Amino acid sequence: MSKSLLIVSRQPPWSGPSAREALDIALAGGAFDLPIGMLFLDDGVLQLVGSQQPGTLQQKDLSANLQALPLFGVEALYASTRSLQERGLDGQALALAIETLDDAALTALIDRYDQVITL
Amino acid sequence: MATLHVLSHSPFSDSRLSSCLRLLGSGDGLLLSGDAVYALQRGTAQRQALDLMPANIGLFALEEDLCARAIDAPPRVQVVDYPGFVELSCRFGKVNSWL
Amino acid sequence: MKFVIALFSAPHAPSSRRALRFAQAALAGGHEIVRLFFYQDGVHSASSAVVSAQDELDLSAEWRTFVQEQHLDGVVCIAAALRRGVLNAEEAQRYGRTAANLTAPWELSGLGQLHEATQMADRLLCFGGP
Repeated sequence: MSKSLLIVSRQPPWSGPSAREALDIALAGGAFDLPIGMLFLDDGVLQLVGSQQPGTLQQKDLSANLQALPLFGVEALYASTRSLQERGLDGQALALAIETLDDAALTALIDRYDQVITL
Repeated sequence: MATLHVLSHSPFSDSRLSSCLRLLGSGDGLLLSGDAVYALQRGTAQRQALDLMPANIGLFALEEDLCARAIDAPPRVQVVDYPGFVELSCRFGKVNSWL
Repeated sequence: MKFVIALFSAPHAPSSRRALRFAQAALAGGHEIVRLFFYQDGVHSASSAVVSAQDELDLSAEWRTFVQEQHLDGVVCIAAALRRGVLNAEEAQRYGRTAANLTAPWELSGLGQLHEATQMADRLLCFGGP
């Protein structure tokens, strides 16, 4: 059986290639049909805000990569309730259908996966 | 499957330690390396938070980083060298480095 | 135990040295490293263009020697490397660049190599940041 991998993305979207490169790990794993989960934590939840316009920074939009996750078979998508609340995003419509988890549920989530990468 | 969390950022300028402490589960471990060993500095809120961690959380620190920074680990913290780090990564089910 | 070691930081970052010392200790302890995978700024740790002062640690050279002597599988992510100007001769020629700074034993390949190694290994160890 394939080992599962949880990718924890903590990077804001437009501060360099880090957020995109974390997504790339998830997409590559999905392309190989591996059981991949993705958790947006801390500033990583800022990637989920809708209607962002990175074109003003001459950056490529991440939202296409985010939307591609389920298409690549990465359907286990989570965000930290606390991180969303801290950043004033609780209750806001997000750019991705995603399950929000409290701290205890995050501990259980990390426990379930075979390997974790936190970027 | 218990997780060994590994930190290397200074806890005074970065939120990783506080994020990580909230996610530690029973049986998990925390290894402080690099500037993260500053969390053991006496008289700080970070050190106090670590002192209050339940006994079922294993606390570890990388010896070379403690020595380089003149930091004394409290008895609760197990000081490890690289072979010890390797052994820890075998003992825990997985290793989660907060990059 | 079988390890895959992923490095995300440049050679001047303490975490690059930490990854190398961990890898050396793992082999010394009788463990196996199925692959080294360098991603993000870790691609710089494989560069042969780094020049260190004589009295300073030359970590990218140490990495190269380590991979060579231990006959390890050292993979550098091609997308991350191109973005950061770490090129082997083939890529330098393909993109018309004047210099190549990635040589054997390093190989350029894709993220699939990280996933494949993670499937083969018992533990994934990531090093990065400071």
